[in-house]
Parts: sequence; structure tokens; C-alpha cells
Amino acid sequence: MSKQKRIAIIVKAFFWILVLAFFYWVVTNNMFSRIIEDPNKFFTLLTQHITIVIVSSFIAVLTSIPLGILLTRPKFRRGEWLVVNIANLGQTIPSLAVLALAMGVLGIGMKAAIVALYVYSLLPILQNTIAGIDSVDSKTKDAARGMGLTPKQILWRVELPNAAFSIIAGVRTALVINIGTAALAYLIGGGGLGVWIFTGIQLFDNTYLMSGAIPVTLLAILVDLGCRVLQFLLVPKGLRLAREAIKS
Amino acid sequence: MIQFQNVSKIYEGDVQAINNVSFNVDNGEVVILIGPSGCGKTTLLRMVNQLESITDGEIRLHGNNVKELNKIEMRRNIGYVIQSNGLFPNMTIEKNVMIVPDLLGWDRKKQRDRFHYLMELIGLHPDDYRTRYPHELSGGQQQRIGVARALAADPPVMLMDEPFGALDPIIRNRLQEEFLQIQREVKKTILFVSHDIDEAVKMGDKITLLRKGEVMQFDRPTEILNHPKNAFVSEFVGQDRVLKSMSLYSIKDLSQAISLKQKVESNDTKTIKEDTSLRIAISILLNQEADQIIVLDDAGNNLGSLTLDLIEQFLHKEVKRTEIK
Repeated sequence: MSKQKRIAIIVKAFFWILVLAFFYWVVTNNMFSRIIEDPNKFFTLLTQHITIVIVSSFIAVLTSIPLGILLTRPKFRRGEWLVVNIANLGQTIPSLAVLALAMGVLGIGMKAAIVALYVYSLLPILQNTIAGIDSVDSKTKDAARGMGLTPKQILWRVELPNAAFSIIAGVRTALVINIGTAALAYLIGGGGLGVWIFTGIQLFDNTYLMSGAIPVTLLAILVDLGCRVLQFLLVPKGLRLAREAIKS
Repeated sequence: MIQFQNVSKIYEGDVQAINNVSFNVDNGEVVILIGPSGCGKTTLLRMVNQLESITDGEIRLHGNNVKELNKIEMRRNIGYVIQSNGLFPNMTIEKNVMIVPDLLGWDRKKQRDRFHYLMELIGLHPDDYRTRYPHELSGGQQQRIGVARALAADPPVMLMDEPFGALDPIIRNRLQEEFLQIQREVKKTILFVSHDIDEAVKMGDKITLLRKGEVMQFDRPTEILNHPKNAFVSEFVGQDRVLKSMSLYSIKDLSQAISLKQKVESNDTKTIKEDTSLRIAISILLNQEADQIIVLDDAGNNLGSLTLDLIEQFLHKEVKRTEIK
């Protein structure tokens, strides 16, 4: 075992001990009492939270991946600069401001929150799609063209499989950011677990605070793990092995 | 057969990349495109399978103007090998090799058989490589796979763009030998880009020497070496061009042109097969510090002896003969 690996294991162990200690403190101090006392409310908030994240991310995936593919076609290459900069703008504006702007246009409610998060998650997916497709070796694409693959076959058989890792990484980033940002939806009346978090902040009540914050954290960790599984399933084996070979 | 008829290419901004090039690649022949970097050799090669457009003139493939052929269909009927092999990292070796047959809709059984045949041909064990991925292979193995992939659908014509250029000299040499052996078996019509005159002399039935998009000389390797048409060709092939040409003649060529010396019975004299190249013969003669070596035919019969004098005579004769023509 190398020194680096040993250090990594020690750091991880220390981290998990801290997490367990924290949970012990939370449970012994009855911090989850909100969830236990009012499970129906909890599930309503959780469902709202997940709905905001899933719907906004899903539409973002449906927009950004095709857009990324389109922008990497030679015909539309010139549009890349413009589109990426517009998407960049969505990301540069603070999340709270995006929410405020969405509320300004769409009024109070979940719809505004979904639109705001949608705008917010366009860029990571778009950028990773473009970067992933661009990272495919031009010689490989040239060989494919020279052997008589149609542009469509090159996209499906060569470009997308080789870009899969990067694209899924983009979706993962967008999802994790969205889970955190969705907690702000409460501020524009969008519901979600942010309701309890902000109530906790306003009332100085740790039970509200923890009952909202910890599920949000767990959700983010769970989704991150889920995306890694997806990456394992969708990225071609040869690329995964190549990646591991480079690492070791 | 590939025919180049007054082919020109002008890039935007009036850059003349290819200027009025004409020559033929006959069936079963290897023609090497060679020249200094920037001479347009790769561009010319890529114009055949329409990866580059043709501004003027015609390239005919089996008599058909390539401009009028369906690009996709035409490319599937041309083997294409590039320097950096261009294997698909996401596909197994079998999937890589069988990509064109797969596009052509071959059934599973036919693909498998073909994969077996090709792997045996390039000297790799099919079952050891079937499920492996390109990154697990060495550069030489990857390039072999690249050649197998180009041969997959048994195309009559192959385009090879410096296929062995990125390999180290020992591996390159081995792959060249292997390739010549494969070519003897499959007899493809090949256009082959190289920047290495030694490779060109070794691999080519004919050589097209390009400079700034113009053909300087199109000829057999011996002619290019022994009778360069102009100062540029002479300089390009190098001052040791006569020595290089020696590898193209065998002792048999010599014994047919001028007779060998009377056989000398001696036990301590070195012997040599008659299909050995003169380059090796000369090297042995110089190295052994012997005046002569005994030449044997395949059956081991003594045919006579070879001396440096004879080789000199032969070369003079060879050079003169071709000068008269």
C-alpha cells in the first residue's frame, strides 16, 4: 500500500467518525423530532424538494445534451461561443438572484423555482457535453470518417460513448448543485425542505434546522452515489479500464 | 486501380496544395507517395477517399471518378490506415477490427471467421485479443490491429498514411517485413504515404516523389535511386543512393546480367544464397575481408563465386542500360 493510499484511508476514517459523532449528537438530542412528530409534512416537503430537483434537471438534460451535440457539429461550431456565454451568465448570477428573477417573471410558487434551477443547471451539463465530445481524439474521428461511417454513426458509435464519462459527470454536478440550491426555493414560495431550514434559522430552533438540513445532505450524497453507479453502467468498459490504468 | 489525371487542389486564399498531378497505381501494386513535409502527400492521399476535395482534374477508382461515387459506400470499399492507428478506445479489438463488416451487415459467424483469419494474418492470437481494449496493447500491436481493420471487408484498394511512422525503428522494420509478406498474399492496390526514403525503396513497387504539390519523379525505386531526374530528387534520395539501390537487387539479378566467376573449391570460403540482396552480399564481402563468397541456389548447389569487382561491373552495366533507355 502506498503512503498516499494510507493517508487517504486515515482521512476518510476520521471523516466518518466525525459524521457518526455528529449523528449521535443529533439523535440523542432529539433533533429529528420534527420528522417523527410530523412525518406527513416531512414527506410533502421531501417530495416537493425532489420534484423541483428532478424536473428542473431533467429538462436541463434534455436541453443541454442535444444542444452540446449540436454545437459540436462543424456547421454550428460558430454558435458555441455565444451559447456557452449565455449559459455562463445563468451560472454567474448568484443563485438567489436567479430565483428572484424567476419569481419576478413567473410569480410565487414551485414553477418559478423549477425554472430558476433549470437555468442554473444548463451550463455544467452543456459544458461537459461539449468538452467530452471535443476530447475524442481527432485522429480517431478521422479514421472513422475514412472508413465510411456516416456522421450519425460517428456520433453514436464513437463520440457519445467516449464522451459518456464527461457528460454524466456534468449531470452529476448539476444534480448535486440543484439539491442544495432547491433549499432556497422556500424564499419564493416553492416549498421543499428549505421550509424547515429557514424556519429553524428564524426561530433559532435546531430541531427544525436539522430535520431539514440533514435529509438535504443525505439526498445530495445519495444522488452523487447514484450517478457514480450510472457512470459505471453507461461508460464503456474499455474506457473505464483505460482510466483506471492511467490512475494506478 | 487508382488513376490521377491532372489533379490539382487549391485551398481558400489561393494556396496551391497539389499542382497538376498525374500517375497511376496499377492493380496489386504498392505506390509510395513521398516528399518533404508540406509537399502535399497526405492531402493527395486523402483526396482519393474524398476526405479532401479535388479542385481540378480527376481521380478515378477502378475507372470511376471518385467525385461521382457515393462517399460513404466508396470509403467502405477502401482500406484506410493512419499513423496513430485511430482505434476506437471504447470498443474491443474484435469490434474495432470488424467495424466495417458490421456496417456492411455481415452476420456474426462470417465476422468471427474473418476476425480469426485477419488475426492469424497479422500474427496475433485471435482469442487472446478478442475481448481486449486498444489501450492494453503496445504501439506495434495497435498498428497491426489498424492494418487488420483496414483489411477487414477485403477492400481491393488501401490507403495508408505513414502507417509505421510512429513506431521505433526495430518494430517498424518488423512490421514492414510482415506487411510485405501480407501484401504478397492479399495483393491489394495500395497508395502509401511515407517520409522515409528507405521505407519507400523497401515497400514500393513504384515511388511518386512530390515537392510543393508537384510530381518530381514517378518511377520504380531502382530508377529513382540510379537515375534521379533532377537535382531535387538526387538530393532527396541522398548521396548514398547507389548503396540504397543495392538492397533492391539480388545476386540472382546479377548472375542473370553478368555471369559469376568460376567456382572455386575451398572449404573456408563463406557461402550465400542467390536470393540474398547485393547490399548484404557487399557487406559480407567487406566484413569478411575475403575476396569472394560462394553463391548457392535453393537446393544448395554451388553456382559460382561473387566478388566486389563483379558487383561494381553489374552496377555500371545496370546504370548504363537504363541510361540508354
